[in-house]
Amino acid sequence: MSQSLLLKKTDFSIFFQTLKSLGKFFAPVRVSEQSFSFKEIETEAQIAWEALRTILPPKKFFYPPSETLVEYSGNEIREVKPEMNFQVLFGVHPCDLAGLGIMDTIFEAGPADTHYLQRRKESLIIGLSCMPDKYCFCKSMGTSCATKGYDIFLTDLGDAFFVQVETPRGIESLENCRQIFTSVSETDKDNYKDYWERRDKAFTNGFEPDNLRATMDMEWNNEIWDELGKRCLSCGNCTPVCPTCYCFDLVDIASLNGDSGSRVREWDSCQFVGFAQVAGDYNFRPTPVDRLKFWYRHKLHGFDDPYGFKTCVGCGRCTVSCPAGIDDLVDVVKKLQGQRESRNDSSEAGGENESQIK
Amino acid sequence: MNHKLNEQTTPFMPTRGVIRSIIPMAADNMLFQITVNGSGLPNCLPGQFVQLWVPGVGESPISVCSGHVGSTLELMVRKVGRVTSALFQMQEGDWVGLRGPYGHGFPMNSLEGKDICLIAGGLGVAPIRSVWQYILDHREKYGRVVLIYGMRHSVDLLFRQEFALLHRRRDMDVFIAAEELLGPALPPVSVQLGRVTDMINLADLEGNFEVAVCGPPVMYKYVVAELKKKNIPESKIWLSLERHMKCGIGKCGHCFIGGALTCQAGPVFNLTDLRLLPEVIECA
Repeated sequence: MSQSLLLKKTDFSIFFQTLKSLGKFFAPVRVSEQSFSFKEIETEAQIAWEALRTILPPKKFFYPPSETLVEYSGNEIREVKPEMNFQVLFGVHPCDLAGLGIMDTIFEAGPADTHYLQRRKESLIIGLSCMPDKYCFCKSMGTSCATKGYDIFLTDLGDAFFVQVETPRGIESLENCRQIFTSVSETDKDNYKDYWERRDKAFTNGFEPDNLRATMDMEWNNEIWDELGKRCLSCGNCTPVCPTCYCFDLVDIASLNGDSGSRVREWDSCQFVGFAQVAGDYNFRPTPVDRLKFWYRHKLHGFDDPYGFKTCVGCGRCTVSCPAGIDDLVDVVKKLQGQRESRNDSSEAGGENESQIK
Repeated sequence: MNHKLNEQTTPFMPTRGVIRSIIPMAADNMLFQITVNGSGLPNCLPGQFVQLWVPGVGESPISVCSGHVGSTLELMVRKVGRVTSALFQMQEGDWVGLRGPYGHGFPMNSLEGKDICLIAGGLGVAPIRSVWQYILDHREKYGRVVLIYGMRHSVDLLFRQEFALLHRRRDMDVFIAAEELLGPALPPVSVQLGRVTDMINLADLEGNFEVAVCGPPVMYKYVVAELKKKNIPESKIWLSLERHMKCGIGKCGHCFIGGALTCQAGPVFNLTDLRLLPEVIECA
């Protein structure tokens, strides 16, 4: 059960200073006219409260773009443990919290990824409510209200924050500033509910998610993939910006004399041509069409069976960052759903399904 | 989450192994016998693979081709890429890294009491060898055994000495076929002209057969079609698939087939499971 508290905005400075004393403090910072990034900050004024989506999602704090896992020298192999500094991550929105929850599940699954989990354990996550823009569709993905991935969540009620403390670590982190929190009144609760109702109605982007599983299966051979694939640059932009894309490469970096070296994990992308290639140059996904539709399916249906969740959290980053303008996930899904409906209207609806099963 | 994380070793930590012997087999194929120190690796089940690390170069997923492992395991390696080329430069006594074994191999327990047909194409004979060695170690637990092995050129025949012995056994039928008979004759192994599918056609598969298959991706659909002619149901066909299993522990994403990770759900799949996945290019 979470603990509900109220924090007046005039007391936020004390809250900020308390959290900052725990370790490195990261929050969204404006880095250009249109973009934001999670960066370490020193003062409260650096926080970009208006930030919706940062360029990279917060996965980078637990799963860095490049990290050394193992070193060798002569006959010795040794693990390189991650450098541990307690970090406070502030201002994480529900979509990114859902993303962290998904990353947790994947990296916790046996054999667990100890480096990821160690960094995760050494951090405090403060979630923050947000109003959607025209790219947000977390409501369609069922991730619009945070349920996991955070210690404390703040809902903006105008002159105060409705604070939900979810974990023992969250409770502990507030101990030194407990005096600034008050218990919530019935009015605060009503204001909280009003906020989330208003937010729910504020979505302008999205699709009907109920039939996603069936749609993605049935439309595996839809011609829309060919159209999109022709325009896809295979640049891989859609994957590092995704809160749940976790694929990586393992590479060796050897010293010049070859006596020592390291094994390094680096972010990889399923959109790159060599991703599914095996020795002897056989490529299981040789074309942009193969790779693009694999990614879409993976986000919208791929993990239904092994884990019971979808790996798209509706943050809209892929749409915003696609240089070819084809990664409008909502638009693609709507087109696929539309095709399905019109085909169901015709009398030959069954033909396509059969050919897919074979 | 686990509270003793700091004491845990990353699953990407290799175990040291020493190359005990390197046995050339056919052009660009060598059998590496590698010894792992002490508790090193757990025993491998037929069809499982290990990640073989050449320090400074990289890792490669390689099928374990020996049935009874202990502290020494055998890997049949073909020189096809960067890692295997570097491995071919190594010598007896050099050390390599190993992780694993990983994946689901052939279901040897549930195959007990059944007749077994083993079908190998080319280098696919490596994991299939671990199956026949396992079966011969537990011969009384299995029924009739038919072994079919096909290759492009007869000079590519791997494990020639072993096949010479297998040919003499009365408790298994061995069919070896090559699409072209090149080079000197290969007594005492008799290689017939033809394909794997021709050998399936020749073999007597009447009985309660379960079939284990490993070969190049292009081979499977023809093998499956031929097995259908022999009235083998799909639920009795087990295929070992090749994908780029870069991490081996279900994290790196390289070996996805649809939503299934080959390194965890496979590499050995029942054909009925594969029918439910997209991207299985092996089965028409």
